[in-house]
Amino acid sequence: MGLLESLFPAENFSLIAFILGMPLLGALVNGVWGRRLGKPAVRLMALSAVGASFLAAVVAFVALQHRVEVEGHEHVKLYWTAWQWMHANGGRSVTNVPIDVRFSIDALSGVMMLVVTGVGFLIHLYSTAYMAEDKAFWRFFAYLNLFIFSMLVLILGDNLPVLFIGWEGVGLCSYLLIGFWYDVGANTAAGKKAFIANRVGDFGLLCAMFLLVHYAGALDWTGIQSGANVLADNPAEAYRIHVWPIGGGTYQGIFAFLQPAHPVTISAATAVGLALLLGCTGKSAQIPLYVWLPDAMAGPTPVSALIHAATMVTAGVYLICRLSFVFVLSPFVMATVAVIGVSTALFAATIALVQNDIKKVLAYSTVSQLGFMFLGVGVGAFTSGFFHVFTHAFFKACLFLGAGSVIHAMHARIHDDVQAQDIRNMGGLKKYMPITYWTFLAATCAIAGLPLLSGFFSKDAILFEAFVNHSVNPFAQKLADRHSGAWAPPAMLGPSLYVAGVVAATMTAFYMFRLFFLTFHGDFRGWVIGRAPLAASRAGHGDLEDTADGEEAHDEGKGTHEHEHGADEHGGDHGHHEENLKDPGRAPHESPWQMTVPLIVLAAFSVFAGVLNPAPLTKKLALEHWLAPVFESAIKGTVIAREGAEHLELPLMLGGIGAFVVGSGIAYWMYIAQKGAPAARLAEQAPGLHRLLLDKWRIDELYEATVLSAVDALAETAAAFDQSFVDGILAKLTALVVAAFGTILRTLQNGVVHFYAAVMVVGLAAMGWFFVTPHPDATVTPEGNGDYTLVAGPGIGYGYRWDGDGDGKPDKDVFDGTQQIKLHLEPGKSIVIRLEVMNAFGLTNVRAIPVSRPSAPTMLEVGQN
Amino acid sequence: MIPVQHYLYLSALLFTIGGVGFLVRRNVLVALMSIEVMLNAVNISLVAFNRMRPENHGGQMFAFFLIAAEAAEVAVGLAIVLSLFRIKRTVRSDEADLLKN
Repeated sequence: MGLLESLFPAENFSLIAFILGMPLLGALVNGVWGRRLGKPAVRLMALSAVGASFLAAVVAFVALQHRVEVEGHEHVKLYWTAWQWMHANGGRSVTNVPIDVRFSIDALSGVMMLVVTGVGFLIHLYSTAYMAEDKAFWRFFAYLNLFIFSMLVLILGDNLPVLFIGWEGVGLCSYLLIGFWYDVGANTAAGKKAFIANRVGDFGLLCAMFLLVHYAGALDWTGIQSGANVLADNPAEAYRIHVWPIGGGTYQGIFAFLQPAHPVTISAATAVGLALLLGCTGKSAQIPLYVWLPDAMAGPTPVSALIHAATMVTAGVYLICRLSFVFVLSPFVMATVAVIGVSTALFAATIALVQNDIKKVLAYSTVSQLGFMFLGVGVGAFTSGFFHVFTHAFFKACLFLGAGSVIHAMHARIHDDVQAQDIRNMGGLKKYMPITYWTFLAATCAIAGLPLLSGFFSKDAILFEAFVNHSVNPFAQKLADRHSGAWAPPAMLGPSLYVAGVVAATMTAFYMFRLFFLTFHGDFRGWVIGRAPLAASRAGHGDLEDTADGEEAHDEGKGTHEHEHGADEHGGDHGHHEENLKDPGRAPHESPWQMTVPLIVLAAFSVFAGVLNPAPLTKKLALEHWLAPVFESAIKGTVIAREGAEHLELPLMLGGIGAFVVGSGIAYWMYIAQKGAPAARLAEQAPGLHRLLLDKWRIDELYEATVLSAVDALAETAAAFDQSFVDGILAKLTALVVAAFGTILRTLQNGVVHFYAAVMVVGLAAMGWFFVTPHPDATVTPEGNGDYTLVAGPGIGYGYRWDGDGDGKPDKDVFDGTQQIKLHLEPGKSIVIRLEVMNAFGLTNVRAIPVSRPSAPTMLEVGQN
Repeated sequence: MIPVQHYLYLSALLFTIGGVGFLVRRNVLVALMSIEVMLNAVNISLVAFNRMRPENHGGQMFAFFLIAAEAAEVAVGLAIVLSLFRIKRTVRSDEADLLKN
C-alpha cells in the first residue's frame, strides 16, 4: 500500500492514464490494423485492453479505499491532470475559469468505473463468441473499446467540459454500433434517431455549462459545489432568469396584451437544473426524449447490453448524482426529475406489457428502470438511485446477454432477424439451454423484485424514500424575508410517487415473467412458425429479404455457417429457406462458454449485489456509508424525511413485495396455468388499447406529426427560398450580367493579330491626344470667412496663368509655375476665375471657374469656424 | 550641319511606314521587319537627340539598349514564326487563330 501511494500520490494519480489509455489503445490498434490482424489478434487486443483497464481500476479502487480509511469521513478524491486545456472568460464573480483536462476518482466515480470496466469486460468476452462469424469483427471491437474509453472519460472527468467529451464520445459509439450492420436501412435510421435525439439533450447540457460559468464561475465539481449557493441564494435581480417576458423586457404597443401582471422569473438554480435535466433525459432515455432507445435495439445484442442497458444510458443518472448539490437547490427541479422518472417508469412499463420482440421488451424495461432511477434521485435518494444503477447494470446486462444467447440459438432454426427475436416463436427453451435458462431466471427475479435479490433492495429503497422524502429550498427562510416566494412540492407528491412506482413495479414483474415464461416454458413453437410467413414475404418483396439474409450471417454462430454454405450451391437467389416443412430440423442449442460464463457471473451479481445496501433489514449499509461523503453535504437541509419515517420502512416494503407477488402471480396464471388464453381474451376485448400499446402509444407518430413535420416544413421553406430567390434570382442574375458582358467582349477577341494591333494604335493615338492637349482644372477649397484656395491640377511641363480678379484679363503676361492662388469674397458676392494652361508643346487652353459665397453664414461655415 | 528637325522628320516617316506596314501586311516575317523599321526610326531620333545634347551620351546609350532589345525580340519572334510554320504550315498571321473561340 505504501508503494502504491508513493507511486501514485493523490494529486497526481497517473494510474488513471493507464485505465483510460488501454481501451483507447485497443480501439486504435483494432481500428487501424484490425482488418489485417485477423480475428484472434483482434480478440486478444480487445479483451486484454479492457481486462487490463479493469485490473487497474481495481487497484485504483483499493488505493481510494485506503485513503478513505486514512482520512476518515471526508470526500476523498484522486486527481490526475493530463494537461491544461483552456480558460473560459466571463462570469459574474470570476473572470477567468480554467478548464483542464483533469480526471478524478472518488467514491461515486470509483464504483461506476468498476461497473463499466467489469461489465464491459464480460460483454467483450461474450461478444467474441456472439460476433465470431461477423466479417467486420475488428470494427465491432474497435467501436466497443472506444466506447469503454469514452465512458471512462465521462465518469472520471473532473469538470463538465471533460465529461461532455465523454458524453459525446459514448453518443458517437452508440450511433456507430446501432448502425453497425449499416447495409440495412432501418439500422442506420435507428442510429441517426439516437444521435439526433441526443443532440436535443446536449443542447440542454451546453446551456447548463454556460449558465454555470456565468453564475457560479466554475465548471469543475469542487468549484461548482463551492459556488453553487449563489445560484439560489442571491438577492440580485440578475440572479433571476426572466422566462416571461423573455429576457426581462416589457411588451408594448400591440403586444401589450402579452405583458403579464408580474413577470415570471425562475432562479438561476432552477434554470441550471432544468437545462441539466434536459441533457439527462436525452442520454438516459426519459420522457420526452426516450424514443431513441427502443429503436437502438437494432444494434448487435451485446451492444444493447453494454451501452443501451448497463452503462451509457445511466450517464444521466450519474450526472444528476454528480451535480446533486446543484439539483437540491431547486425543489421544483427535484420534483420535475421525480415526476419525469415515475411517468417514464409507468409509461414504458405499459408498452412492455404487450411487446413480442424479446429485445423490445427489454428495451422498454430499461426505459422503465431508468425512470425508477430518476425517481430515486428526484426525491433526494441519491444513494438509492445510484444503487439501482449499480444493480440494474448487472441484471439488465444479464438479461440482454441471455436474450442474445436465445437469439443466437433461435438463429440456428429461423434465419430471419425479426422472427428469431419474436417470443411467439420461442417457448420451451429451458430444455435446450439450461445455463441461459437459470441465469435468465435469476436476473428476471432480480428485476421483478424477488425479496432479498439485488433489484428488490434497490427498488424498495427508492420507493420508500419517494414516499417519505420531500425537498425544501435551503434558502426558503431567506427568500421569505426578502418577500420572494420559494416553491414547495405539494404534500401529496410523495405518496403519489410511491403508488405510481408500485404500479410500475407490478407491471415490471408481470412483463418480465411473461417474457420469461413465453421464452423458456411450454413447448417450443419455432418448429414451424417462421417459415410460412417468411415464404410469403419472400414472394412479396424479394429485395428486402435478400438484405436480411446477407445481414443475418453477421450475428450467427456456427449453426448458420453450414447453412450458408449449402445455400450457395443453389445459387444465392434462393437463400436457405427451402427446408422440408415436415423435418423438425436443427434444435436450438446452448451457447459456447464465452457466452455462458459472463451470464453466470452477471447472474451471481444480480442475486447477491443486494448485500451492499440491504436497506430495511439492517443498519449496516456498505454502499450508503461509502457514498455518504459524496451526497451528505448536498442533502443536508434540503431533503427532509417526514416524521416517523423509520416506522414506515417495513410497511412500505410490503408495497414492493406485493408488486412482485401480484405481477409475477398474474403472469404465472396467464401464461403457465391458462397457457396464454386470458391474454388473448384481453386483447380481443380491448382491441383498440391493445393495438395502441403494441404501437407504443404511437408516440413516434405523434412526434412525426408535430415536431418533425414542423422542422421539415421549416427546412422546405428554407429550401424553397433558396431555390427560388437565391438560386433563381440572385445567382441567375449575376450569371446573366457576366454572360452579357462576355458576349459583348467576346466579339473583340477575334484572334486576328492585326485587329489587336489596330486597336492598340487607336488607343495609343487617344493617349497621345490626351497628353498633347493641356487640361486646365482646379479644385476650390473654402477656408471659411470667405477665404478660398484654388489649386490647379498638375501636368507634365505645364505652365499656369491665372485671372484671379475676374476682369477677364490674365494677371501676368507669362506662364509660370503658380499652381495655387488664394482669394477673399464678401458674403453674397461671386466671381469667375480663369485659369490658362500651356503645355510643353506650346498649346494653351483656358477654363472659367465660378466661385461664389452664400449671403448668410450657413451651418457648414459655422461649424468650420 | 543638318538640323535635328530633319532627322526627326525622317524618323517619323520611317515610323509611320513601319506602323502601316505592320498593320496592313499579313505575312508575319514582313510584320517583323516592319517592327524593325519602327524601332530603327526610334533609334534615329535617339541618336539625333544625342547629337543635340552630347554631354552624357544618353541618346546613344538608349540606342544601344534598343539594338540589344531588338536582337532579342527578333530571336523570339523568329522562333515563334518557326513554330507557327511547323504547326500551321503558314506564316500568315490571319491564319494563326488557334486561340480563337
